[in-house]
This record gives sequence, structure tokens and C-alpha cells, in this order.
Amino acid sequence: MQQQDKYRIALLAAFALGLHGFENLLPSPIPWLRLGLANIVTLITLLLYGMRPAVMVTLIRVMLASLITGSFLGPAFILSLGGGVASTLIMGFVLRIAPRLFSTMGLSIIGALFHNLAQLSLAYFLFIQRIEAILLITPVIILFGTLTGTVNGAVSALLMKNLIKYDQKVQNETQC
Amino acid sequence: MSLRELFHNTTLADRILFSLMILLSLSGIAFIKDIFPDTSTVHIYVDGHPAYILPLDKNRVMSVEGPQGKTVVEIKDYQVRVIESPCHNKLCIQTGWIRSGAIVCLPNRVVVTLGDPAKHKKTVDATTG
Repeated sequence: MQQQDKYRIALLAAFALGLHGFENLLPSPIPWLRLGLANIVTLITLLLYGMRPAVMVTLIRVMLASLITGSFLGPAFILSLGGGVASTLIMGFVLRIAPRLFSTMGLSIIGALFHNLAQLSLAYFLFIQRIEAILLITPVIILFGTLTGTVNGAVSALLMKNLIKYDQKVQNETQC
Repeated sequence: MSLRELFHNTTLADRILFSLMILLSLSGIAFIKDIFPDTSTVHIYVDGHPAYILPLDKNRVMSVEGPQGKTVVEIKDYQVRVIESPCHNKLCIQTGWIRSGAIVCLPNRVVVTLGDPAKHKKTVDATTG
């Protein structure tokens, strides 16, 4: 891994961590209902630099966030880690297999969906061994996940467009 | 970039995925209760004492012996009603089908309650010294 990549990963992980922390401050009607703002950074990393930096950013974010909030290796940490890694891997996988099939928004929805599915199955296998309780909340969680995933995807698309525009501007200026 | 532009940048697969997810989750919310019917029970009390506890998901007709005679309770399709009662005002029969709550026949001292037993745990409201 090149030195510059390390800087980028560190910077992006810091952004993700900031969003993660900000999201924790927001009041939520139901405790396990999250906006998944950090997924924006993961998605941007994935689109700009590829799979490996995206996984790195996710791992750093989850680790540091749990260390700061004091939930390291606790249930919340395991759910957060499983969901984050699963969604990043799936998004990277889809992007590699069919790069043109989904836009940024579609990728974000897929990421949110697999984040939810991973968390629900982890919760089932590790904490709540009652399948009817899990299945009862699954549709609700997936509905909200799709909605927040769409919004996050829209934000990511806007960010990507502006980043590319900014990049071109910088390149043009250096050429002159 | 406006919202319309954002929408134009989505692919067909995006829109299909989004509609599918919304549709699936909404129908899931609507139908999940039918897949997992509540396994609550019907409690029948005679003269204040619990006489029968019956599962709500099995259709049956039950005859309960009270002080004045037989009260016949029917369970069908997750609903309960009283068919026959020896009392003269027949309030219990007029109550009809219930899905929750209770049917009370005071003259024959029969009470039929329905609901999730976990929600009806008898706990102390308050204590005073």
C-alpha cells in the first residue's frame, strides 16, 4: 500500500468516524434505527479507491467508534462490525461484477439491505434465539433501511459528482 | 445537481430494486402477522377461579358448568364468543365475537378473557406503607 493511500484512508476513516459520532448524537425514535451516514464515506471510498481501502475505512471506523464509546467487543460492536463489513463487501462485489448495472443509489440500497440482513442474522445467532421476533421486525427494518439507503445514495452521488468536478478543475489549473 | 437530474442518473436496475424492496417490506409488514399468528390463549374463569385455558388457534366449542347451568363458549378463527347461556338477559351472547378483552356473564359467574398472557401478568400497581 502506497504512502498516499494511507493518508487517504486515514482521512476518509476520520470523516466516517465523525459522521458515525454525529449520528450517535441524533435522537432516534427506535434505538436500533440508524441513518447509516457513515455508509456515505464507505461508498465514496469504494467508488474512488476500490474494495480494499473501503474495507479498511469501515474497520477503522467501527473499531475506533467502539473504543471511544466504550462498547468494544460488546454486542453493539459485533453488530456494527458485522453489518459494516458485510455491506462493504457486498457493495464491492456488485461493483466488480456489474459496474454499470447499478448507480450510486442502487449500490447504497444494496449496502443498506445487506447491513440490515447481516445485523439481523447476527442478532439471531448470537443474542435473540427467537426466529419469530426477528422475522417480525425484519420488514420494518428493511423498509427504513431502503429509505435511508436511498437518501445516503443520493448524497453520495452528489458528492461524487462534485468531487470529480473539483478534481478536473484542479487538473486544469495545474495544466495552465 | 437537481433532484430531477439525480433521478435521471439512476439506472433501471436501481428503480426496480428500490420498488421491489419497498413493496416486499410493506407486504412483509402487512402479512407477517398472518404467518405468525399470535399464540395467545383463552382463559375461562368460573366463580372467580380459573377453569380452562384453551389455545386460540384451535377451533372448538367448549361447555362450561356454572352455578346456573351450562355456558357454551365457541373458539373459531382466533375469535371467541358465547353461544349459549342460562342467564336471562343474555348480555354475554350479545357481546358477540371478540378478538381481545373479555366476555362476562355475571349471573352464571363465567368470565372469558382473551389476549397474550404475557401482557396480562398480574403485577402490583403500587404499594403503600
